[in-house]
Amino acid sequence: MFEDTKMPEGMNPEVLEHLMSPKNYGKLDNASGVGVALDEKTREYVIFYTLLDGDIIIDVKFATNGCQDTVVIGSMFTEMIMNNNIEYANKAIAKMNDKLGDMTPQQQVCADIVFSAFIASLKNFENLQNGLEEELHLFKMKESCETPIEGDSNE
Amino acid sequence: MNKLYQQKHELWLEITFASFAISDEAIKSRLYEFSLIAFRHMKWLGSDILEKGDDYNYDRELTLQKLDTSFQIIHALESSVTNAIANYPKDILGERMKTDDVYLLEYLKEILSCEFNNQTITAFNMKREWIDKNLAQDQIDALTLFLFEESYKEYELILIYAYMQARTKDVMHFNVFQDLIDESHFHLKSFGNMMAKLGILTLPRMLHEMTYVVKDLEQFVKDGIEEEEAAKIMCKELSDAIKDEDLSNFFDFVNYQESYHIELMKKLL
Repeated sequence: MFEDTKMPEGMNPEVLEHLMSPKNYGKLDNASGVGVALDEKTREYVIFYTLLDGDIIIDVKFATNGCQDTVVIGSMFTEMIMNNNIEYANKAIAKMNDKLGDMTPQQQVCADIVFSAFIASLKNFENLQNGLEEELHLFKMKESCETPIEGDSNE
Repeated sequence: MNKLYQQKHELWLEITFASFAISDEAIKSRLYEFSLIAFRHMKWLGSDILEKGDDYNYDRELTLQKLDTSFQIIHALESSVTNAIANYPKDILGERMKTDDVYLLEYLKEILSCEFNNQTITAFNMKREWIDKNLAQDQIDALTLFLFEESYKEYELILIYAYMQARTKDVMHFNVFQDLIDESHFHLKSFGNMMAKLGILTLPRMLHEMTYVVKDLEQFVKDGIEEEEAAKIMCKELSDAIKDEDLSNFFDFVNYQESYHIELMKKLL
């Protein structure tokens, strides 16, 4: 199902389009869950808004102060998961991670921060369902753009 | 009031990016002057809002239409300016903004009165060709990424510094913020015009409040200095990669400017 997904290697027209007009960029006022992944070293963050109907992701938005790789990956990922269920979204993460194997360590960190923010938004939704008062759920990234990649991406 | 502030923010961007998109140097330059006036309107409006105990944010809904001719851009701008005027408050600032914008409308009509001004717009064609430069594809790619990265950063810095400037009581800080805003305006203008030449002109993405609501100035400045250092490295790498003397010299020039930004920022510590 992800065979045609092209990752941002080089400057193909698809990447250029995501750079010029990132998809699903912004805020959602009525999100079911809001998640933030933060790189404390660089202060770069991704905030992810997810609106669910049952387990279907009916709307999604993201925003970041990060680099263009983060923007392109966020734009592509949100397009992939929109109007699909959470299981599909988790497979999309795995599939994109496979493809990111060819990318630089810095780009992998950018992908991880996007995926972590999405997972944080689901965690926020779960916490709210369980009666917890939480404006958003925060994941602090273990790996930074400035450091070599080792181990997991969030805590 | 935030709705009016958002409209002014969008109008500043629309005039600025119309200036970048249009290739006629005289029109480009004149529109850019009007864009700086619009930015001052936005600054004064922000101060008024804060003085009244209210607040504003940098949310916006504007998208940059990929128009084909100068006249299409000017007509769209006419419509936005006219809509903005209708919402200005009936006070001294409102009158000032109105008289400025009525004068801008007269200038726009003057442009439209001469068919020669109706030129084809190439700023959005995505061709990534610099007609009078001989740049290899890898150089174009490096330049493209740099321009996307840095045009966003300059827009971000303009708005963050303006946000902090509006809230500081320290005169020295106010002046440093103004210098940094002025410098970033110049960089955004330079990079925006380059993006238009390459056919990749686009608005910087919207700022989320997590980016501009600064709770720890010292940490922000330290992070900012690191970012300036990173920008210097990017400029140096680009200057080395671009085999064109004019462009290479320009990126060296920007690199030296970033060095002084660091000195300015240290004054905030």
